Amino acid sequence: MNPFPVDLLLLSIATPLAAALIIAFGAHKKLALFLAYIGFSVPALVAVYLVAKFAGAPQHHGYAFFTSYDMGLAAWGIKLTLGLNGISLGLFALAGIVGFAAGFYALQSGAERLKYYLLLLLVMQGGLMGVFASVDIFFFYFFHEFALIATFIMVGVWGGRDRNYAAMMMTIYLTLGAMLSLAGLIAIYIKSGAGTFDLIALRETIAAQPLSALVQKNIFGILMFGFGVLVSLFPLHSWAPLGYGAAPSSAAMLHAGVLKKFGLYGLIQIALPLLPSGAGHWAHILGVLALCNVIVIGFVTIAQSDLKQMIGYSSVMHMGYAFLGIAAMSTLGVGGVVIMMIGHGLSVALLFLLATSIHHRTQTFDMAEMGGLAKQAPVLAAFFVATTFASIGLPGFANFWGELTIFIALWGFSKWMTIAAVAGIIISAIYGLRSAARVFFGPQSATFAKVAAEHSPADLRWSERVPALVLLAALLLVGFWPKIITTPLNAHLNHAPYISQK
Amino acid sequence: MAPTPAHLALITLLLPLASAALIALFLRRAGALAQIVSVLACAGYAAAALALAFGGHRETAVNASLDWLAIGGFTLSLGIKFDDIAALMLCIVAVVGLCVHIFSIGYMHDDKARARYFGGLSIFMFSMTGIVLADNLFMMFIFWELVGFSSWLLINHYCEKQSAADASKKAFIVNRIGDFGFLLGIIACYYVFGTVNLAEIASKVHGGVAVIACIPLALFCGAIGKSAQVPLQVWLPDAMEGPTPVSALIHAATMVAAGIYMLCRIEPLFAAAPAALNVVMWVGVITALYAALCAITQSDIKKVLAYSTLSQLGYMVAAFGLGVATVSNMYAPYDTLFFTGAAAAMFHLTTHAAFKALLFLGSGSVIAGCHHEQDIFKMGGLRKKMPVTFITFTIGVLAIIGMPFFAGFFSKDAILYLAMLKSTPVFIMLALTAILTAFYMVRLWKVTFWGETRTAESSHAHESGPAMLFPLIVLGILSIIAGYTVIYGGAFDSILSRIPSTYGDPLHHTIILITSLAVMVIGAGAALLFYKSAATDSLRDRIPGVFTILTHLKETPDRVYNYYVAKIQQRFALFLNFIDQFFIGGLVVRGLAGVTGFLGLGARALHVGSIHAYLYWFLAGAVLIWAFAAGFLH
Repeated sequence: MNPFPVDLLLLSIATPLAAALIIAFGAHKKLALFLAYIGFSVPALVAVYLVAKFAGAPQHHGYAFFTSYDMGLAAWGIKLTLGLNGISLGLFALAGIVGFAAGFYALQSGAERLKYYLLLLLVMQGGLMGVFASVDIFFFYFFHEFALIATFIMVGVWGGRDRNYAAMMMTIYLTLGAMLSLAGLIAIYIKSGAGTFDLIALRETIAAQPLSALVQKNIFGILMFGFGVLVSLFPLHSWAPLGYGAAPSSAAMLHAGVLKKFGLYGLIQIALPLLPSGAGHWAHILGVLALCNVIVIGFVTIAQSDLKQMIGYSSVMHMGYAFLGIAAMSTLGVGGVVIMMIGHGLSVALLFLLATSIHHRTQTFDMAEMGGLAKQAPVLAAFFVATTFASIGLPGFANFWGELTIFIALWGFSKWMTIAAVAGIIISAIYGLRSAARVFFGPQSATFAKVAAEHSPADLRWSERVPALVLLAALLLVGFWPKIITTPLNAHLNHAPYISQK
Repeated sequence: MAPTPAHLALITLLLPLASAALIALFLRRAGALAQIVSVLACAGYAAAALALAFGGHRETAVNASLDWLAIGGFTLSLGIKFDDIAALMLCIVAVVGLCVHIFSIGYMHDDKARARYFGGLSIFMFSMTGIVLADNLFMMFIFWELVGFSSWLLINHYCEKQSAADASKKAFIVNRIGDFGFLLGIIACYYVFGTVNLAEIASKVHGGVAVIACIPLALFCGAIGKSAQVPLQVWLPDAMEGPTPVSALIHAATMVAAGIYMLCRIEPLFAAAPAALNVVMWVGVITALYAALCAITQSDIKKVLAYSTLSQLGYMVAAFGLGVATVSNMYAPYDTLFFTGAAAAMFHLTTHAAFKALLFLGSGSVIAGCHHEQDIFKMGGLRKKMPVTFITFTIGVLAIIGMPFFAGFFSKDAILYLAMLKSTPVFIMLALTAILTAFYMVRLWKVTFWGETRTAESSHAHESGPAMLFPLIVLGILSIIAGYTVIYGGAFDSILSRIPSTYGDPLHHTIILITSLAVMVIGAGAALLFYKSAATDSLRDRIPGVFTILTHLKETPDRVYNYYVAKIQQRFALFLNFIDQFFIGGLVVRGLAGVTGFLGLGARALHVGSIHAYLYWFLAGAVLIWAFAAGFLH
């Protein structure tokens, strides 16, 4: 079936990592840039190609493009098993597309020590592709760590204001979260008695003999909080706005856009199917915490005057919706989470990109010192407005479908939670439109007038437009044609009997 | 091959979308070309819409519905329900839309952002058509949000003005408050009826599925937001920051009427929950009277018309709320109108669309003629300077105050008659509103057009060009004939035949006729005698107490809104921000103090600062772990 001489999934992981390796061994700058272009383009192309080919591909236990390699750890039940199912397909594509945009933007950014910056970004990219292509839980986790450590270094070295503190906070929170998740995953490995990290085998073993309710309860709790920290579940979210506020733009794009979804992905791909009664035990608590994400953090977002912090908080708020979709424990809810992850990933990455572009023109992230930028930069304004409307759930963009399906699924779980969650559409409209108005409309602030007088701000350059267009086009594509995601997703979810049908 | 109805329906939906996409992608800097594309698209749209509406084709589904998204048991589909009410609404959107597009050629001819403006109009036409044609509530909600976006875009047209930026933001956010209830209502419908398809809901309700009043009331929230009913009326007067043709199309004739249209679509739910209908009625009556009182003190020509729009929308909502199911209609098919109130509301919506669009476009002509002066006390004497505008505006005024033989007379009488049958207090309040309407409209008309010119702007005023006068004349004719049901040629009979009529009820006929004439004569006469076309407001000069009270009445909701936003909401947000930063962030960090100490070593290592060090540590670590795992495990 595969007309190419190589395994495409392996190629998408290995290309950025190989490029990084060559750069690490001292490639000169021109070669490094060339390699980076290759390293960011190949995964994106592979992702697009595989989305197109998914429908006709032969499947192995629900996974298309399935391959398995022995890496010398088979005795421990660990193999590099790659494949895509209905859930991971969309996220794999997300990683490819956002990775391309972030990489392309970084290549044009003229960052200091660009070579090393690209190196780390390539490591991150390879890790991300690996996370969503892995069928083996061990490698799923391993690739995540790869990407995560690269993130810490990027924040610590290339970060902006408060970068040391931010990097430390991020490291502590995320390392703890990752450790907890690892503990949970190992517990599944041990308790299932399957003697393997292979998700397919684990599912079959557990389907034949479910774990006891107590075990499920304990493991799901560990995973919920472990993954929860990684996805900024209230009240474990403090690292997110701080970290993103300090992170260099491409790292923020990749982390907020893609890497953060690791936790949610783990919950719906691993925890919900393997530990259904455990999920039932924790669902109400998860729902209440997630509502705090939506309402409390929603109001906190309104209070922000720093553009990047605001985007960071808004991202925390939107993760609340994703958790609510999980708490709903239904097919529709899980489907909603997947769309939400894709929509949010694309839009938040684009917002971080545009925030940096705004900073280049206004020399500040403080929205009080901006205003009227639409006059000099109408295309930038149009992109920012479109992305803002996408992120506050306007129909026509991917995010809308995520929010809508989650709300509908949640009503079947709890009416009161739904009422509170839907109130979030008002809150997000307030901070979203307010930020667009403060940055782009009305008269110029005195500070910005001074900056603009010295350096007349130019409109969006092509090096910024290309990645922005790619992301916006993807948002619109899923918005207008959600079936591109939901058809494979639905086919997968309908074969997942462990989730109550709603 | 003649186009089938399904083709025509798709043309109305997709032509504006194509126009908007073309303008957004390629014609951003080509204002003149964008204008041609947009106007031609709208002309094609109007042709298709009229052919569809008067072609006699009616189906609940013109096109087999199409699944847009399906997950688990949930399916969201796109489909068309094209009954009489949709056909009528589509005609209104098409005719007013085309008039406004043509008017805009003249009005916006020297605007720098013309391409964005015409692109916005096209997006609006697309979204509005989606609401009209939708056969299910989720689809309606999708387009409902999209009209909100186009409204935001067009109010924000003069975006370098702070007031325009604020007004557009306010409009969207206030609408979202209504949408909050609307969406919850739709989701509740989905769970209660197992469907959101309008026809299926109707048959379920008739089949005996119980409806609790909360559901129609939650859906009504959407109408409160979109149609700017009390207490969410605050956004509409501010929305006048947009260009005047936009005010005519979106904020007078079509989008704000979408709330009433939506109510008519979900009528079976109200039929099953009469208590909800009462709430609707009172919200409408209060809005009608309140807005009419506010209109009296306004000096900005567009603001007078904005409050007048609010008041008339209140009339329509009240008419819907008055709905009386007549006996004969009990046998009607489920998906057609069976409320006389809904019929009266749709009839008034139709005539109002004609005369209010006329009045707004007329005010646009006045504003353009007076070099963007909007204060009526700085105008005066325009009847000689702008004769065509004057005559058509006069027709609009006569239509809205209910002069016999003009369109508004018939539709307003129908509502008053209904009120008289149902509830005396409502009848009195609506009659009072009618007096006030005649009063403030004649005031506006007299101060603007009569007397002498008072400022340089008005003395240099000039009549507008043909692109602006042609729509005025068309709408002027419609403002006269739209009240005669014969002109519709039987195309919308299921609505028009249910308009409450005093025919065969001579006693009420006489009472209504006398009341409506008296109401008009009192209001108009008082204004004619009281106001003189002068540089100051006669009411402020002669009875300052009343003027002050009315001003407060108008300003109090704005003050409450501003106080809420600046003081309550912002302070609450800052308070939570403080909690988040210093307690949640701080506490967790302190709670992790032990771990921090443990990791302190690693954290300090990160401060070394040499990038090579990090990288090599990182690579070495990775290799080491791998070697450890792979080697030692064997």
